[in-house]
Amino acid sequence: MIQLTNVQKKFGARQAVKNLSLTVPTGEIFGLLGHNGAGKSTAIGMMLGQVWPSGGEVRVCGHDVTTRRDLALQKVGAIFETPAFYDYLSGWRNLEIFTHFTARTSDARIREVVEWVGLTGREHGKVKTYSHGMRARLALAQALLPQPELLILDEPGEGLDPEGIHEMRETILRLHRELKLTILLSSHLLSEVEQLCTRIAVLNQGQKVFEGSLADTKRSNQWVRLRVNDFPLATKILTSAGLISSHREEQIELVIGMETDAVVRKLVEQGVGVYEIAREAKTLESFYLSLMSETKSN
Amino acid sequence: MFYLQLRNELWKLFGKKRTYIGFGAFLLAQTVMLLLFRFGDIRAGLSRMLSGNGYDASDYISALTVSVVMLIPQISLLMPLYATLVGGDMVAKEYEDGTLRMILSRPISRFRLLLVKWSAGIIFAMLLVLVLGVTALGAASILFPWKGMFVFVPGEAFSVLPAGEGLLRFAFAHIFLAINASAIMSVAFMFSCFNMKPAAATICALSFLLLSLVFENIPFFSSYENWFITHHFKCWLMVFQNPIPWSQIVQSEIILTAVSVTAFIIGCTAFQVRDIKS
Repeated sequence: MIQLTNVQKKFGARQAVKNLSLTVPTGEIFGLLGHNGAGKSTAIGMMLGQVWPSGGEVRVCGHDVTTRRDLALQKVGAIFETPAFYDYLSGWRNLEIFTHFTARTSDARIREVVEWVGLTGREHGKVKTYSHGMRARLALAQALLPQPELLILDEPGEGLDPEGIHEMRETILRLHRELKLTILLSSHLLSEVEQLCTRIAVLNQGQKVFEGSLADTKRSNQWVRLRVNDFPLATKILTSAGLISSHREEQIELVIGMETDAVVRKLVEQGVGVYEIAREAKTLESFYLSLMSETKSN
Repeated sequence: MFYLQLRNELWKLFGKKRTYIGFGAFLLAQTVMLLLFRFGDIRAGLSRMLSGNGYDASDYISALTVSVVMLIPQISLLMPLYATLVGGDMVAKEYEDGTLRMILSRPISRFRLLLVKWSAGIIFAMLLVLVLGVTALGAASILFPWKGMFVFVPGEAFSVLPAGEGLLRFAFAHIFLAINASAIMSVAFMFSCFNMKPAAATICALSFLLLSLVFENIPFFSSYENWFITHHFKCWLMVFQNPIPWSQIVQSEIILTAVSVTAFIIGCTAFQVRDIKS
């Protein structure tokens, strides 16, 4: 659905995005992670044809955004961290204004979307009277009006209270489930990404430092919790057998490709009592932080 | 689709209170001038001038004469201010508010978007002039009789016309004033397309007009007067000359139209290469 190939962006002397290649497959909820200034918004800007890439190719829905923006964005909806509207006009009028930049839209379709997002009864009120949550719903309505296949959400949880974040999460899942949308979600709320996304890419200083499924981030954990009757002896045996690469208090790090059954077998053979062995459950947060410190040390 | 987008642009434009500042200021200025004309010394001065030239002042102190007298300061001072205010807002304000980023997540081309906005700006400029003329004439008709027209602008026009022909020329003058207003709005629109605040775009456009006026009035530059936009703004007054210098008027209007189109193209080019970021 989205394909970035060796994309670069320079703002003056500053390189905001460096050789970014990224694939967002159809049907996924794809998370774009990174700290502030990592290049997420610039990357999204380039996907929407708002920021011109200095090099590389950006394709959305099979079309090059730079040369065929009109076709590339035909089936795309977008929501930004602080959705802006014409506050002095009604919600309905705002929807008409935005949707007519894509295509002529019937009143029936606007009514349908207004109902879907739960704004019925308030759509003719001026936007300046809307609460933060209602504005978020209006933003969603304007994104859904052109019947998109791809939804781009740039920091959608920014500024929302816990209730709002919960509602946003449920809405995204509903959009994916009911409307079968491909969703690209940029965020630095790791817990949200963990609960929503099936694939992620992590950006750091304009470079991609990881791309893979959420399961990959957990699988990559080689740390195992180990309770034995003699931990120093156990680590000595396992190190000399080449099964672990390092250890710390009640934890061992398996060498790549090693499984826990081999560890247990070796320890039992050597007469060490094994009380408990389990892989440490790695959260996205711990994965992200280790990735960042790894990148920093590199 | 263009019609729908233009209609939406006009909703946006006329939904804002600040759009009406110009109309309100015109009404206020007209009321003050009308009262001064009715009860002040201006009328006596005009009567003396007419009598001195062999005309019966009572035949020419009319709604049409007063309308033109009221029009001149408003066209020179207020109209550029409000045309640049709206023109300077058109793109820069949307960028500042964040709505431009929302629009540009849609498959509309930047050129098309600017064309819609510029067209809305031209409609606003024309409406501003129309309202100015209609309200001036309407308000003057309440306090002054419908008689012949007398126009005197030092160095530009001295005319005494019957009411019918005066009205026709008054209407013609507004067509040319609309082109003037469109050119002013276009210059502000051009600055609005660059990466600057709306107020800065308005100030840049007003500065451009003032610089043009200053240069035009420096004697050394008199042979270059055709290069200054403000020189061509005066062409609407030529409608009141006898005979009407059509070739000069048409030349000025073509130049002003070219200025509008050039400003639009420069604005488009600047906007096309810009990165739109939050």
